[in-house]
Amino acid sequence: MTLLSLQDLSVVLDTPEGPATVLDRVSFDLAAGESLGIVGESGCGKSMTALAVMGLLPDAARCTGRIDFEGRDLLALDEQALCALRGRCIAMVFQEPMTALNPVKSIGYQVAEGLRWHLGLGRGEAAARAVKLLDRVGLPQPRFSPDLYPHQLSGGQRQRVVIAMALACDPALLIADEPTTALDVTSQAEILALIAEVTAASGMALMLITHDLAVVWQNTAAMLVMYAGAVAERGTTAEVFARMAHPYTRGLLAASPGALGDILPAGRRLATIPGQVPDPQDRPTGCVFAARCARAAADCLPRPPAERVLAPGHAVACLHPHEEETVL
Amino acid sequence: MLSEARAVSLREFWLRGRGQANLMIGLAVTLLLIAVAVLSLVWTPYPINAIDIPAKLQPPSAAHWLGTDQFGRDVLSRIMAGARNSIAVSLVAVGIGAGLGVPLGALAAARRGWVEEVVMRFNDFTFAFPALLSAVMITSLFGPGAINAIIAIGIFNIPVFARLTRGAALSLWQRDFVLAARVAGRGRTRITLDHILPNIASLLIVQMTIQFALAILAEAGLSYLGLGTQPPDPSWGKMLNEAQTLMFLAPQLAIFPGLAIMATVLGLNLLGDGLRDLLDPRLRRLR
Ligand SMILES: Nc1ncnc2c1ncn2[C@@H]1O[C@H](COP(=O)(O)OP(=O)(O)OP(=O)(O)O)[C@@H](O)[C@H]1O
Ligand SMILES: [Mg+2]
Repeated sequence: MTLLSLQDLSVVLDTPEGPATVLDRVSFDLAAGESLGIVGESGCGKSMTALAVMGLLPDAARCTGRIDFEGRDLLALDEQALCALRGRCIAMVFQEPMTALNPVKSIGYQVAEGLRWHLGLGRGEAAARAVKLLDRVGLPQPRFSPDLYPHQLSGGQRQRVVIAMALACDPALLIADEPTTALDVTSQAEILALIAEVTAASGMALMLITHDLAVVWQNTAAMLVMYAGAVAERGTTAEVFARMAHPYTRGLLAASPGALGDILPAGRRLATIPGQVPDPQDRPTGCVFAARCARAAADCLPRPPAERVLAPGHAVACLHPHEEETVL
Repeated sequence: MLSEARAVSLREFWLRGRGQANLMIGLAVTLLLIAVAVLSLVWTPYPINAIDIPAKLQPPSAAHWLGTDQFGRDVLSRIMAGARNSIAVSLVAVGIGAGLGVPLGALAAARRGWVEEVVMRFNDFTFAFPALLSAVMITSLFGPGAINAIIAIGIFNIPVFARLTRGAALSLWQRDFVLAARVAGRGRTRITLDHILPNIASLLIVQMTIQFALAILAEAGLSYLGLGTQPPDPSWGKMLNEAQTLMFLAPQLAIFPGLAIMATVLGLNLLGDGLRDLLDPRLRRLR
């Protein structure tokens, strides 16, 4: 059953330099209990996609298209209905655990807050549940008392608190926006394993946003590669990795800092993709990646390439995709 | 559990604050002022309005420590009662200013858009008049008197608190933990109460001590101009006013109320500065 469905979602931000198209006709489906990785360079619109789903885009944003969640069009809901949904049905974990917690409230209070608010639990019951949740995310008693304040925890521990807050009301969808970027390598692996484990255990759908292909490879069943606000390639993680049809996807692979970068033959390894993401105010009319693409030809320039299905469950928005299998 | 954590941090505040000279001096002066004001309710050396013409304009002596005024009233008694007056006026005035200004500023930051515009334009409008001028305007409109002086000073305090609150709240609304609270489904009002206000509480407390000092000055100024506290009620500003014509005959009549105002304002400012250092979150992190 489809839990979340985006149809031709476009987001235009009014900026002093003019309107900026930060999302350009993004569509995807996410079934209940499934996992989807969204990967792309910085500034390609990953966070905007997440915020659009949460209904928390900046005031200057104009949204078109549809976002259906459990059969309801989120863009048509009012603020009150969205508040009832946020944290209850859709939860989100952010990149920066250092700042995602309120410095003047105890961690127990912050975890219990959603329980009291959404589920109407009493103070005592919510506090007891909060302690269980802290335990669930690897912050056992008595070492991690609910009376601790955020500044008394490390970054990894704080991210665990944030995850406990997100899990509190047992939402149907968890959005994790680069949940490990601010952490060291060991904590990164632990936090990702924790997220994968808790979502799988409670049948939660997971939307995992990252700029690192290795994270997608290890944690999600399906994936979406985004470039400059649009979907470049999509499919099951296995299919996409087997083929890596879009030149941008291959560029990301080469730039991947983790284990994946080493798998690629030395001759094809690049440190970075040359060039820069075009400004959202000033997108070219044709393929947005053409200027940085080694395979670009004259036919890439007049109009953006339509998405082509390469195999069941694998599509790419490129006129000249790679044909050969990757070594993976 | 939570109150236990509070108690611990209060003790820590005390331990850290003890070493701060300006905080301690400010605290001592403020407590002394309060003590004197409270004492004046039950006891003053002489009845505050007891006229004793034969004993008028006496210099300080054993009978009248700070001398007597032109009606033979005891200056010390009147200064003690004046403290009560100053505290009452500035407490209520700052209460009005903060009580209306903080919600307005918080509302402007939470709602943005036209609500913010309206609040800020109102602020600009109130701010555009110099404080004393607007106070004079209000008291001349509604007649002089302690109540109108309080209202005038209170109104002038509203934009101070509204601006401070809005500015601090706006930067907090950008913070991740507020976004996290929104993601968790909290409405703007609840976020303001639970996340914004607790985080600017220390800022507001510091500003309140400063506005308190300014309100005492403003009350003295208004009373000096004859627009505040009316005779025979004692007020430091009023005493200064009455002393003016007797400056050379009995300078103590001007000196002692002047000293009282100066010490109070200085003490409150020291307290505000000390609190600012004490409550600075960057220092708090280090505990
Ligand atoms: N408030 C804003 N006003 C104008 N433009 C914005 C605003 N926020 C984001 N953008 C633009 O929107 C685009 C998409 O930003 P987004 O935050 O979604 O990127 P991202 O993929 O999450 O990047 P990162 O990996 O760095 O988090 C960027 O080009 C950015 O410059
Ligand atoms: Mg982002």
